Amino acid sequence: MESQEHDHDDHTHPHEEVGRQDKPGYYDMLETAVRELLVEKKLIGADEIRRQIEVLDSRTPALGAKVVARAWTDPEFKARLLADGRAACEEMGITFYDDTLLAVRENTETVHNLVVCTLCSCYPRPVLGLPPDWYKAKPYRARAVIEPRKVLAEFGTIIPDDVEVRVHDSTAMVRFLILPRRPDGTDDYTEEQLAALVTRDTMIGVVPARAPQGSAAQ
Amino acid sequence: MSQTEHLVKRLPNDIGGLPADPVVQTDHPLEPWEKRCHALADVLDFHKIINTEEKRCGVEALGAEMVGKLTYYERWIVAFSNILFRKGILTPTELAKKMEEVAARWDEHAGA
Amino acid sequence: MAGPGIVPALGEEAIFHAGDRIRVLDREPIGHYRVPTYLRGKRGVVEQVIEPAFVDNEEEGFGRNAGSKLHYYRVAIPLTEIWPDYTGGPRDGLYIEVFETWLEKA
Repeated sequence: MESQEHDHDDHTHPHEEVGRQDKPGYYDMLETAVRELLVEKKLIGADEIRRQIEVLDSRTPALGAKVVARAWTDPEFKARLLADGRAACEEMGITFYDDTLLAVRENTETVHNLVVCTLCSCYPRPVLGLPPDWYKAKPYRARAVIEPRKVLAEFGTIIPDDVEVRVHDSTAMVRFLILPRRPDGTDDYTEEQLAALVTRDTMIGVVPARAPQGSAAQ
Repeated sequence: MSQTEHLVKRLPNDIGGLPADPVVQTDHPLEPWEKRCHALADVLDFHKIINTEEKRCGVEALGAEMVGKLTYYERWIVAFSNILFRKGILTPTELAKKMEEVAARWDEHAGA
Repeated sequence: MAGPGIVPALGEEAIFHAGDRIRVLDREPIGHYRVPTYLRGKRGVVEQVIEPAFVDNEEEGFGRNAGSKLHYYRVAIPLTEIWPDYTGGPRDGLYIEVFETWLEKA
């Protein structure tokens, strides 16, 4: 297979922009200018940006879903996952390209966990990919720590009064993955079928995982 | 007690507990430049040219108006520019000239 | 914990332990901080000591990439402690990692 890469020793062409209909916006051109200068000064390599885009594209909630499905079916893996989230993900070949740690928090009959980053947008990107816009916007960030139950209700999630709500505000090097409860009626599901029930929002903790008939864990 | 201390003491991103609207579950697929910007942030962090915390600090330093009006990645790329100036890695003139070159390149291509 | 005859370096060992009652300091830094205003002065319990010691993230924001390492502590603070008018569950809690220089024994 012929390589798509070619060398740009003197200057980079913004290949991805060839054929664009609209002139790049101000910030788009600012990004291009900053990047090209850094590459010219040999502070970063052009290849590194391309490669990191591939890294980012390879990280989606499907990875987290596989981790959850395995935890639901393999008690010893689940124990390792709860003890050291990063190490357990690395067991499954999910590499962490940064210095973050991963803490996995299990939702149960008595405890419901959710994650927020009030100060910015900390999110377990190596295992879930990039966060949705709403997670990074003011309403969720401001209100999740003061009225979590009302915020959850806006997602259609009602937490009974006798269940404890735990809000995790990521502000340092630890990132959080919520382990949602396994839905009822899934005893004979394969791991793949289980993973299909685990969406991004279940791993942020704003909605429970549901089986196709709609039933969450009771 | 001064009238303006609160502006100094509370960073524009420090919003936990403040009144806010209902959550609107918006999302958008990243524009190509936004993805490049995110990749750039990661690469700068790997090299410790701009680490992730410096980026956060740089975004905060944009001040409330820009933090409120620029979008997420717009804030990042402006913060990177300021940090790179402060570190003496780029100068504002260099960057301005390169931006002119980038714009001219596009204009040439579009006019062709 | 350092064994018999072993003297740990200053700052090497965690000074708070799981179960300790702590208070988040009332400090009001300008420039950069990672302890949200809503937690200042609040009391809670150390849930876990985060290992290993890490760079102070507030110094990291100004370019420090090594040194200045102390422990972060995951603390649990009841939402009723943070918000006097909290109307959710009485056991609802806020969990957050806080750097050692921001805590004192309560």
